[in-house]
Amino acid sequence: MKQLVLQSFIETVEMVGVSMALGTIIGSLLAILLVLTKPSGLWPRSYLHQILGIGLNAFRSIPFIILIILMIPFTRFWVGTSIGTAAATLPLTFAASLLIARVIEDALNTTPKGLIEVGKALGASNLQIILKIQFREALPLIISGLTTISINIIGFSAMAGTVGGGGLGDLAIRYGYQRYDFTLLIIIVIILIAMVQCVQTLGNFVSARLRK
Amino acid sequence: MSISIKNLEKAYDVVVLKGINLEVPQGQILGIIGKSGAGKSTLLRCLNGLEQPSAGTITVDNELFTGISDKARRKIQRKIGNVFQNFNLLSRLTALENVMFPLKLLKEDIKKSRSKALKMLHLVGLKGKENNYPSQLSGGQLQRVAIARALISDVSFLLCDEFTSALDLETSLEILELLRDLNQRLGITIVLITHDMAIVREICDEVCVLDKGQVVEKNDITSILLYPQNAVTKSLIRNLINRDLPHHLQEILMEEPAPDSSALLRLFFSNQTAGDPVISSIVKKYNVPVNILFGNLDHIRETAFGCLIVAIPYEHSKIDDIMSDLAKRDVSTEIIGYLPQKGCFT
Repeated sequence: MKQLVLQSFIETVEMVGVSMALGTIIGSLLAILLVLTKPSGLWPRSYLHQILGIGLNAFRSIPFIILIILMIPFTRFWVGTSIGTAAATLPLTFAASLLIARVIEDALNTTPKGLIEVGKALGASNLQIILKIQFREALPLIISGLTTISINIIGFSAMAGTVGGGGLGDLAIRYGYQRYDFTLLIIIVIILIAMVQCVQTLGNFVSARLRK
Repeated sequence: MSISIKNLEKAYDVVVLKGINLEVPQGQILGIIGKSGAGKSTLLRCLNGLEQPSAGTITVDNELFTGISDKARRKIQRKIGNVFQNFNLLSRLTALENVMFPLKLLKEDIKKSRSKALKMLHLVGLKGKENNYPSQLSGGQLQRVAIARALISDVSFLLCDEFTSALDLETSLEILELLRDLNQRLGITIVLITHDMAIVREICDEVCVLDKGQVVEKNDITSILLYPQNAVTKSLIRNLINRDLPHHLQEILMEEPAPDSSALLRLFFSNQTAGDPVISSIVKKYNVPVNILFGNLDHIRETAFGCLIVAIPYEHSKIDDIMSDLAKRDVSTEIIGYLPQKGCFT
């Protein structure tokens, strides 16, 4: 049983870690595109901005559990199966990307106009302005945003358990709920609480260290 | 580095600048002054390339700066240093890293940039503050960092946008001193915009007065202060003088003469006339009491001028005579306002 819990824990960490890492990359790219193309942005393309924005909102309004089901054909195509940790990671990455895109977009938009003008007046390229000024200034905000999303994704990963996704959620459903193992259920809940606390504490610490 | 502006126009929904012609020769400190909404900021934003003019041209060192590709513009922009009103420093970089920032954008050698940035920080008087973050520095220190950053890429042209308005008076004067020093030591051309004649008086060689998007007056600082021609210039100078006036007089100053009031005259003595007994001869000739309310030695950069504020009982024809008489003696006069009789002879 101990073995089972440990294995599930590792699966959860894997799912959350991989989907957060991929989600951060995809989300950052989406966020940069959103910030660049907004009407007052460095590369204003208002139609593209609107299409992106509407698309993001549309997908974000789908409840995660339904998203998993809707994505089954894609998951089968990409991963080969719709059951297991790898299969759960795909919808998790998708959800994480959407959430992260919005959080980073908001963080980048907090850059004071004056700082962007400094970049322009120094002859910096648009990419330099985004990366070396906006990203750098917004980093503490981005980190605290990512912390919140990590916690969401931990929750989502447990949800993925209901459709056989593996991880602690899966274990809790199969053993705790369907086999009435109440002790195991409590243990899993405690592990999840501890995980969330650790992520939050780490996020707060890093974010505070980055603020000068 | 010289700048030449020809027939510059800028319009958004409304016309902001029309027909601006300006020459800024190498090494000059030019002050662009005007009330808010006069178009100063827009003019400056055209000069640093943040805005593109609707018509007309700007040439920087005989190189066309307007109507060119983004890439060509960025190249010229790197030769222009900017000092902003709100400092605009990166909050997560130390003073040293902020100063190095322009070189980093150019991907220059880190070690060389570092030693250059250290030198710049010492030049602006911030030795020992290299590793402080902006949140650990005072307003004056922040502006010094900003100046060091503006100068690091060997610019020979510095644009300053209302750069003292976030600072207290004493700090402003220190920063002005620093700029004048940099101008003299490094031969940097400086263009600064402000609404405050006191700033211009401290530092500028040449003044350009902007009103409703047009240059209404341009002259050297001495002529502007002593012989202002345009109404806007006069009112900007009046703000400066009124601030020198004792507070209790400022409160009762009237714009129009009233019965039994006294005219408040400001007399400007340039060097040649400072020796004449002007006041006593006026008293004798016109048989009027002249009450000296305030006097100081004013200065315009290195030249000293005597300035007196006197009250004379208001009598229309007499005042005109006295003023033209004084003008003959090379004393420039101006009526600042009127005081109730009691206010100044009790």
